[in-house]
Amino acid sequence: MSTKTDVPSAEPAILMSRIYDAPREVVWKAMTEAKHVARWWGGAGFSNPVCEMDVRPGGLWRHVMRFPDGHELHMNFVFLEADKPQRLVWQDADHDTREPGRPSPVITVTLEDLGDRTQYRMVARFRSLAERDAALGFGFVKPIEGSNDRLAEYLKKL
Amino acid sequence: MATDTLSATLFALSDVTRRALLARLASGDASVTELAEPYEMSLAAVSKHLKVLETAGLISRGKEAQWRPCHLEAKPLEAVLEWVENYRVFWERNLESLNDYLKKMPRKHNVRKPATRAERKPR
Repeated sequence: MSTKTDVPSAEPAILMSRIYDAPREVVWKAMTEAKHVARWWGGAGFSNPVCEMDVRPGGLWRHVMRFPDGHELHMNFVFLEADKPQRLVWQDADHDTREPGRPSPVITVTLEDLGDRTQYRMVARFRSLAERDAALGFGFVKPIEGSNDRLAEYLKKL
Repeated sequence: MATDTLSATLFALSDVTRRALLARLASGDASVTELAEPYEMSLAAVSKHLKVLETAGLISRGKEAQWRPCHLEAKPLEAVLEWVENYRVFWERNLESLNDYLKKMPRKHNVRKPATRAERKPR
């Protein structure tokens, strides 16, 4: 079971979904308790020297992610919704101070109870359709070195 | 990563007319007059959009005083592409990692019932 990525045409969002072989309460725990999140966030080779989560609406998530090459990324998120054990919504805490046009999607994760398993859905909702279009239009077209044919094709379809 | 350039690019792309202008330029250089043709828009309004695109480095203008053809510059778009590709890859890796962690996560009740029903595919 791998991740399914979707691009709805009428909605400014990127969707990812997959089924986890664990009950919903366990998945919720794994993604809302800092001690657990620090163990998996980023993926293989990444570590998370700082992970502090205050999981409630308005609560902050301070996070430092260390890449395999050693450089660190500081991430500050704010939770917008926290409806245990089914719905978690967050975005960049510095959102309002960002320059216009900077992509800063609102992330919504919903968990559906399938008994022993859990349907996980992640939606990254961009602030405007334009940002999403910029994101997806280019994101799923592999860049070709030294040629912008694909890009030209895409731009024609806009 | 040059986020300022990225911001400028995304801002320039956030307008439907400007995207249409880029789409037109993808099929070849064009003058302001040619670009304005399909629109019920003044040359001044089109020039304003072109100025935004030029500032973002998405187009360049020819040097000939009269014609000054607009030319699509793909370089800044590659930065957008790179950002989004990184974002997508990050999340796919992240979800894979959560999967691995769930398998070894310490649990109070780690007794698993055998699967009794076929895998359901919820909509």
